[in-house]
Formats: sequence, C-alpha cells, structure tokens
Amino acid sequence: MWKEIGDRESGKLRPNSFITRIRSNRASSLHLSNHKELVSSHRGSVNSLQVDLTEGRYLLSGAADASLAIYDIQRATDYEAGGLIAKHKPILVDKQHQNGHKYAISTAIWYPIDTGLFVTGSYDHHIKVWDTNTTQVVMDFKMPGKVYRTAMSSLATSHMLIAAATEDVQVRLCDMASGAFAHTLSGHRDGVMAVEWSTSSEWILMTGGCDGAIRFWDIRRAGCFSVLDQSHSQLGRRPPLADKSTTKVSTSKARAPQRKVGSGSSSKHSGTSKILKHAKGSAKQRLHPGLLTSQDRATAHYGAVLGLKATEDGMYLLSAGSDSRLRLWDIQSGCNTLVHYEIVRLQTSKAIQLAVTQDSSIVFLPCMTSVKAFDVWSGQSRMTLQGHYENVNCCFYSTHDQELYTGGNDRQILVWSPLKLIPDDADECDRRTEQPSAVDEDNWSD
Amino acid sequence: MEDDEKTVAVVVGLIDKATNSTKPDLDPRLLKSIKSVVRHSDSELRLAVHNLMSLMKQDHSQVRYLTLNIIHELFMRSKLFRTLVVDNLDQLLTLSVGFRRNQPLPAPPAVASKLRSKAIEFLEKWNTTFGIHYRQLRLGYDYLKNTLRYQFPNLQANAARIQQERRERELRTKEILLKKYELLKSNISSIKDEVNSIVDEVSECLDILISSKEENVPLDPVDEEDFEDFRNIELRTIRENSLKEADKVQENSENKVVFDALRELYKLLVTKHLVAVQESISVLIRVELSDNRLRDSMLKEFIDIRNHLKSIKKKCEEAGCVLSAPENDEEEDIWEEGPSESVNISKPGTPNKQNDSAGCSNSKATNTNATNAKATNVNLNANPNMDPLKSKLLVEAPVMKWGSFLDNWGSNRDYMANQRGLEVEGHWGRVDHDAVIPANKIAELNVQATVYEEEHKEIQQCRAPLKRGGLCERRDLKVCPFHGPIVARDDEGNPLNQEPDMKNFSREELLNQAVKNVRERDKEVIKKREYDKKELKRAKHAKIRGHNEAVLRDAAIASTPVSSAIGDSDLGREKDSLAKMLKKKATAKDRLATRLLSRKAMARQVNLGDEHSKYREAFPNQW
Repeated sequence: MWKEIGDRESGKLRPNSFITRIRSNRASSLHLSNHKELVSSHRGSVNSLQVDLTEGRYLLSGAADASLAIYDIQRATDYEAGGLIAKHKPILVDKQHQNGHKYAISTAIWYPIDTGLFVTGSYDHHIKVWDTNTTQVVMDFKMPGKVYRTAMSSLATSHMLIAAATEDVQVRLCDMASGAFAHTLSGHRDGVMAVEWSTSSEWILMTGGCDGAIRFWDIRRAGCFSVLDQSHSQLGRRPPLADKSTTKVSTSKARAPQRKVGSGSSSKHSGTSKILKHAKGSAKQRLHPGLLTSQDRATAHYGAVLGLKATEDGMYLLSAGSDSRLRLWDIQSGCNTLVHYEIVRLQTSKAIQLAVTQDSSIVFLPCMTSVKAFDVWSGQSRMTLQGHYENVNCCFYSTHDQELYTGGNDRQILVWSPLKLIPDDADECDRRTEQPSAVDEDNWSD
Repeated sequence: MEDDEKTVAVVVGLIDKATNSTKPDLDPRLLKSIKSVVRHSDSELRLAVHNLMSLMKQDHSQVRYLTLNIIHELFMRSKLFRTLVVDNLDQLLTLSVGFRRNQPLPAPPAVASKLRSKAIEFLEKWNTTFGIHYRQLRLGYDYLKNTLRYQFPNLQANAARIQQERRERELRTKEILLKKYELLKSNISSIKDEVNSIVDEVSECLDILISSKEENVPLDPVDEEDFEDFRNIELRTIRENSLKEADKVQENSENKVVFDALRELYKLLVTKHLVAVQESISVLIRVELSDNRLRDSMLKEFIDIRNHLKSIKKKCEEAGCVLSAPENDEEEDIWEEGPSESVNISKPGTPNKQNDSAGCSNSKATNTNATNAKATNVNLNANPNMDPLKSKLLVEAPVMKWGSFLDNWGSNRDYMANQRGLEVEGHWGRVDHDAVIPANKIAELNVQATVYEEEHKEIQQCRAPLKRGGLCERRDLKVCPFHGPIVARDDEGNPLNQEPDMKNFSREELLNQAVKNVRERDKEVIKKREYDKKELKRAKHAKIRGHNEAVLRDAAIASTPVSSAIGDSDLGREKDSLAKMLKKKATAKDRLATRLLSRKAMARQVNLGDEHSKYREAFPNQW
C-alpha cells in the first residue's frame, strides 16, 4: 500500500490504476467489522439490502416481518465502549404502517436517480413505491402472485420501469409514470425468481426463472431474444475489443447528462442502445422473431435460477442456481464461460442476492450461513465470510467505501469492511478509552 | 525444523492425553504444561487451535467437554488464540452448545448437558471480557440469547444487582439510625426525667421498707452473744446466711402495699427503661456522624444512667423483687445450668448398682409373680372375694409354663447392657457403659419358647389276612410293605369298601394292556432313532454353514481398512473407558425388557421362520 502511494507520488502510477489497486486491495481484505455495527430492528430474516446509488449513504433493508428500515451507514447514531464500536441505528423503521405490506418483504430497492423514492415488493402480491421523506406509499401495483424480486435500471433515461419477478410466469414492467403495467413479458414456464437490468443498455432486461432458464428481453420488441444455454459454452474470457471499450467509456460519460430525460420518445436513442443493437445485430436478430424451439427450451441451470448479477461493465452475467452452481455468462455471445466456482451448497428455497465488486474481480455469494467471495475469472474461493448463524439471503457491496453488507435469517445485518489502515483514528480511540484496548492482550498467569 | 516438529508433537500429544480421560476435570498438571508449551511459540499455538477444533468434532461429549475447558483456559490468556478461535466461533458453538438441530450433541447425555451449560457460561464470560474487541463474540452471544433464547447464567449482572441491593440496604439502615439519633437528641431530657422520677420512687419505697425493718428488729444483741459460741466454720456460715435471711424484710400485711408498688416499679424499670436505655446506647454506638462530640457526651450520659439503673435493680432484687417473666439474663443462666445437672445425674461416673440390684429384685419378683399367677389360676374358684373383673380375666388367661420371658412380662424398659456388676473393663478393650438395649430388642430376645410336644396317637395295625392264618400285625402309618395301603378291614381281614373295584380287572384286559405297552415302547424307539439321524444331519449342515460364514467374514475383514485398527489393541484402556461411557448401563429394567422381548421374538420367530429354517436346512449352501 505504501509502495503504491509512493509510486503515485512520484508519478509512476496513473491515478486511475492507483484507485483501482487500492480498491481491489481493500475488497480482498474484507473481514467482519468490529467498529461498525448496524443495529437491526427487524424481527424476521433480512431479505433485501441496497445502498442508494447516488450518495452511497443510505442502506435500505427489507425483512420477512414486513418491516423495512433505512440506515445511515456514514454517520453513526451512537458509540459504545468509548467510541470503539459505532452503532448505526435505523433512521427510519416502518413496521405497522397502515399502508405497509402485510407479509414478508422480499425486495427493497432505491429509485436509482435519487433517495426520494424507494420500491418494495412483498409476498402479499404488492409492489409499493414509497416517498422516503414522508414515508407514505405513493403508488401501489397489484401483482398476480408473490413478488420475488424487483429491479430498476440505473441507466434508464427514457423510462421508469420497475421490472417485477413474481410467482407468475410473466414478467411485468410497472411504469411509475403512469401507474400501470407497461409490458407483460411471457416466455418463462415457471415463476421468475431473478430479474436484472442490463448495465450497458437501458432496454435490455435479464430474467431467471424457476424453470432454470435465463431470458434476455429487449423491451422495445415483443418476446425474448435470447435464452442462455448452459451447454452452449466458450472457454475462458473473451478478449475485449479495443474499439468497443472506448465507446463504452464514452457512453458511461454520456450517461450523466442524459439522466433527467423523461420517458417515452423512441427517437431519442442513446449511444448505448445503438451499440447494443449493432452488436447483437448479425447473429441474434435472425433468430429473434421465432426463436428456434430447441433454443427456446434451453436451460441455464438444473433447477431454479436464484439470483442474477451483471458485472459493472455490462459484459458478463453471473447466475446462481438451485443446483448449487454459479455460472458466468458472456452476455455478448450468450455462452457459458465454464468457470468452475468452488461452491459447496446454496440455499435453494429463496431468491438470493449476489454482489460483485466494481472492477468485477470478486463475486460475493451467500452460501448457507456464510458468504463466499470468488474470483470471478478463475472461480477460486478467495474468502469465506463467516459471521451469520443462519442462512444468508442477501449481500450488497458498497462501491463507495468498499464495504459489504449481508443480511440473513438470523435477523442481523453485518458489515464487512476492509482492515482499518488509518492508524491515527485507532490511536484516538485508544486515547479515549485506554482501558478496553489494554484488556485485549495476552494474559498468562503461569 | 526438526526441533519444531518435535515440540509440535509435544503439544498435540499433551492435548490428546488431557482430553482422553473419563474424569470430569482436566488434569491440572497437563493443563499447565500445555499452557507453558503454547505460551512460548505461536506455531504451536496454531497447531493447538487446529487440534482442539478437530477434537471438538469428535463424537463424544466427554472429549468435547475437556477440549472446551482447554479452549477456555487458552482463550482467557492468549490474544492470538482468541483471534484464531473467534474466526470459527459458530462452529465451536455448534459443537459445544449444539444449537443446530441437525447436529445435536453426542452421547453420553449427562456429559452433553454439562457441556452445553459450560459452553454457555464460557461464552458469557468471553463476551463480558472480550466482547468489545470481537464482533463475532457479540454476535454469537446475541444470537444465542435473543434469537434462540438460551438462559445465560448472567453472572455479572447478578453480582452487580446483589451489590446494589446491599448498598441500598446499608443506606437505608444508616438513614434509620440517623433518624433515631435525631429523635434521641430531642428526647434525651424527657428520658432522663422519666428515669430520675422512677429511680426516686424506687429509692423511696426502699427507704420505707428499711425504716420499717429497723423498727421491727430489737433482737440483735442476743444473737451476737450466741455468735461467739459457734466455732465450726460451716455452722457459722449457715448461721450467717440465716441471719442475712432474717435481715431481709419479709412481706406482710403491713408493707404489702409498699411491696406491690416496688414490684410494679421494678418491672417498669427492667422491662421498659433499662431496655430503652440499652437500645439508645446501641444506636449511639452505630450511628455515623460528622461531629462526634455531642454523641460521645450523650453516650456517656446514657452509660451512667444504665449503670445507675442496674444498681437500683440490684437493690430491688436484694429487697426481694423477682420478675416472674424469664427474660432476665441471670435467669437464662440458671436455665442453662439445668440440663448439665441432669446430665450429671445420668453420667456413668458413678456406676449405679441400684439399677442392677433393681434388675435382680425385679426378676425375683416376677418369678414369684409367675408362680403366683399359676397358683391363682389354679385356685381361682377358691377366691370368691376377688375383684370380679380380675377374676373374669383370670378365667380367660392362659396357663403359661415358666420361662425367662416372664421376667420382663409387660415391662417397657431399656436395659443397660454393660452394667451387670461384672468388671470387664480393660480386659476386652474399651467398654461402653452407656450401651443400652432398647425395650423392643429385649422383647425380641425374650420371646416365649415352648418345646414341641407330639400328640400321642395310636398307629393302626395292618390287619391283612396272612397265609398262615391270622392277621398282619405290622403297624405302619400309611402303607404296609407287605400288604399295600392300610385300609379299614373287618375281622377276617377283608377290606371294607374297595373290594369290588379290584375285581373288575380281568386277566385278558391286563394282557392286552401289556401288549399295547410293549408296542408303544417299540414305536418310540423307532422314532427316536429317526430323530437321532435327523439331528446328525442337521449338525452336519450347521457345521458347513458355520464354516462358510467364517470364511466370508474373514474375507470381508481382510478387504476393509478397519482391519489394521482392529489389530491395534494397544490403543489403550482409556479409549475403552471413553467408549464405555457411551454405552448405556444396563439396568434391571433393561435386562428384563430384553429378556421379555427376546422371548417374544423367539416365539414369533418360531412361528414365522419354520418354513425358512426348513429351507435352509434343505439347502445349506444357499444364503
């Protein structure tokens, strides 16, 4: 670390690579944080966690007792043991809200643009949109079955659609602008457990169903345009194309000003969609109108697909299935990359939430009572984060301060943070509380 | 490197040795050596952690229990150990508390429950001491406490609570004392007045009595003369006492009123004022004040008052006032002396021959009594002037022969065992003079004994007719060896009633019967021979089967890796004893149950497996 700082100082290291190095260092040294503690107010298992995407400050959690809470993860509400342990109490707890959910909340996500809204989905068949400041439900969508997962596109500039994965075979897109269902995407043969928007195009939606299929939808067209097939494979990582990566950078830069553009108006295609259209052009488009039946029946997992996570650059998709497999897919080609992840067992009954680091080098996957960190490209297990006493349901990696939040059936929300490298802070703690720090030492009486 | 390995082996060996025992506690010497070895090298500590965790996985609660104890010892001492153990805390808790349903604690159940309670206790201890530094500890504690609702001993909280309670109690007593002190301070003058008034009254009463007495006694000089004559000291003291007694004012009709008043006052003085003064003194002694001067002066005053009161009390007692209620200290003393005196009486220091002689005389008396009883029973009718009830009872009463049991007839008394006048002391060891034979034992020893007397009975003659003529004259109880059972016969010797039955057996029938018998016997012999043949065959088959099984078993054992373990018989007896702990001890109930069940099972087996066994016998080489 000090060497890197020295290199940066002398100009040997470029700022970007310095940042990525520090980040990856921190991400690979995660451990159970002793100084940061979230005081869970939930009485049921924590099903969903998300830190808001704008400030990286508010953690939204939804639990099985139909309660949801928001924690300020930057600012502690009080300190214990003389400042050694920072306790974060929920700043907003919603339990017996009159318009709240009746049954377990399965998903809770922030509105990607700001923290003024958040969306929750529950087993009581409802998706609700909340105003954060007044804690009132501003919109309510009635779904045909239990809601497993909802997703909103963080790139979307032209739509405000909530993709909902429910017990029903159809995936519905709820339009927040109109309060109605904009689309009903049918193709799955069983309930849908996982849903994820593409991180490279605002129009592409990826869903994973209990039938083991992962389907890609272009929401501008009818039907799905691709079904991932686990037997359709390629070996290893596709070498990135130089020109493509450059355009990617440009699109991500272009994203910011386009954000506030309202929905509708199909003429306003962003660069992203053009590229993707162009990319998928040749091979896929031919198949799309009536996918070959054999391809339509392809499966990505034996058993249900429990969780989906696209990498930050939008090129790869990770899927976890109830066959206790984690698969890495090349989105572009739709191929299984055949990376073997050393998983022992996954819990199979619930949808799980995976997390990937920003540079998509590590994937965090809840495996029963622990969270395992795998190298995305080699599949090797990097860490096993053990702290929960019952099954872990969800994890969220905060790219802002390289912390991992996990929630499990034991009602706890645990914070996994990199090792504290700022010694003066620790010193301060020591000075404030000379006594407790002195306690934790060897004490050999004989 | 070599050295390292050697020490490593030492640690692992020590831990294995310490945990391989059936005792409820660790061997302190082994523990100490483990600690000392682990203390000096981190690599050994790491290995110890590894070894301990693998031992915790063993399928035996005793091993786990001992391992947990070692873990606790090291946990409280080494920081590195803590960081290593804490990483795997949930596994440790799973193995020691057994909170996961699919991983219950292993047998034996008694040790398992001990293990659980100990683990919970340890976890609490760890959490209170090191919880701040280890989030895992806090999590585990929180999970067991708030989610699984385990009952923690809550040692710290309890101690704090007790401390708090005690402090509160002390504070309260202090307050009360202070209040009392304040009250006393305001009341001291009135108390003094009261005491003074009563003291005055008492002294007045005493004055009256004394003055009246002086009037009454003009006889002194005469006594004075006599006094010279008594030379004997004893007599003199006796006389002095009597004189003193005479000095005291006797109560009579004249001074009865004064005495009554005095008694009243005395009672008041003793029960109220003296007690009150005593109490206030104790309050003054116990109270804590910033300024002690006033208190000291008050204390002094109170002590003076008390002494004064005591002297007055003494005077009163001399004058003849005694409080009837036994709350006085002196009376208590007397009461205490009482039992010791009584003990003195019964002490064996003075061997009481009285008892012995009493015993003798008693026996004599009973002797005579017995004879008397006989006599009375005999000549009961001759005594018409007796009490009617007694005579009636005498009629009913049985005539008893004389025996030693009559000595203690109806007595309900314990006997001194070693006081019969025989001095055996020192000859045969120590003698317990107090040894007592209880009355019921005596009764047991003196049960009435009677000699059995056979009833004289005439044995009948056989009276069967003899060939020579005449009747058999043998006397047997039931059967005559020559003539069979003895039956009633008439004068010629013919039986009286069974005659016709015997005649019914004709010769032919008897013959037939004999032939039948012989044939049956032949048949049986044939059957038996067949059976023997079968048996032989069966034995042969069984032998073949047994041989086959043995061969197969040998083959099976040879093909498994267990065979090497079986060969290792020198694993130690400790292992055996640990294994023994797992086995349930067979109680009487168990044995009964197995027996009953097995018999039932056998019966069922017999019913069901008849065919099968036949089949097996027919084809012994098929299984």
